[in-house]
Amino acid sequence: MRNKYIEAFEKAQIESKNIPEFRAGDTVRVAVRIKEGNKERVQNFEGVCISIRGQGTGKTFTVRKIGANNIGVERIFPLYSDSIEKIEVVRRGKVRRAKLFYLRERKGKAARIKELRK
Amino acid sequence: MEFIVEKIGMSRTISVPSVPVTLLKVVEAKVCEVREDGKALVAYHSGKKINKAIEGQQKKYNISKEFNRFKTLRVAEGTEPGDLSTAPLAEAKVVKSSFNSKGRGFTGVVKRYGFAGGPGSHGSRFHRAPGSIGMCEFPGRVQPGQKMPGHYGNKKVTVKNEVISFDPENNILVVKGAVPGHKGAKGIVRIVK
Repeated sequence: MRNKYIEAFEKAQIESKNIPEFRAGDTVRVAVRIKEGNKERVQNFEGVCISIRGQGTGKTFTVRKIGANNIGVERIFPLYSDSIEKIEVVRRGKVRRAKLFYLRERKGKAARIKELRK
Repeated sequence: MEFIVEKIGMSRTISVPSVPVTLLKVVEAKVCEVREDGKALVAYHSGKKINKAIEGQQKKYNISKEFNRFKTLRVAEGTEPGDLSTAPLAEAKVVKSSFNSKGRGFTGVVKRYGFAGGPGSHGSRFHRAPGSIGMCEFPGRVQPGQKMPGHYGNKKVTVKNEVISFDPENNILVVKGAVPGHKGAKGIVRIVK
């Protein structure tokens, strides 16, 4: 259990954040604020969330996408950071574990995730 | 101005760039006696230790049984016997935090002084030893101050921290960066700005 004062300090920062619920296996589109010189713009990063770890303000999630030339690209985002403008859940995936690191060894068709149907 | 604090633990902020922070709880203290040089004797609560000397002091300054430890602190001008006010912390920008560092016991020179040590393998036969500690028949003795293995840690260490916020309701002081010592350790913060 975490200390109640640490929890209160972190809760005060997190409360105002509106973050959709998602889990490993879901395809997410993350809008990241990027600062170049004194210009600021928003860049999207879309891929499969393969892990969510940590707690409180230190919580992060990993997004994996297949980039140009079939090269896998992974980015780790802090879930509550101010640099993240928006997180959008594009697709819910049907998976049986919390960490999908096995996707790193898979290529092409084998790396697909079935969509979750209710 | 100084305050007795207890280290709670570390966290971080969600701002860009994220700031690592340490939470300190300001320990409730009672001012017993204000001296003329700007310092005061204060009593605070820590553990259960009690003896006749402590009881005598408690009777003398008319304070309750929980306040069983005493310390001399620099206090704000115009402080009077009674509760030690934490108001100056609300305006503090930079503090110096003094704590006892974590005790590491008897350690070698690699951990204690950052000596590089030797290669681990390839038959080097020189791993974490200190190496030569001096010259030859002349001067025939080891120079004073030679760095050697010994006790490391559990010593007062002072660091400078910026103040991020202060919550007067719960008496929680949030400072930037780390402070020495383990969670639950008691130390002193001194307002420098």
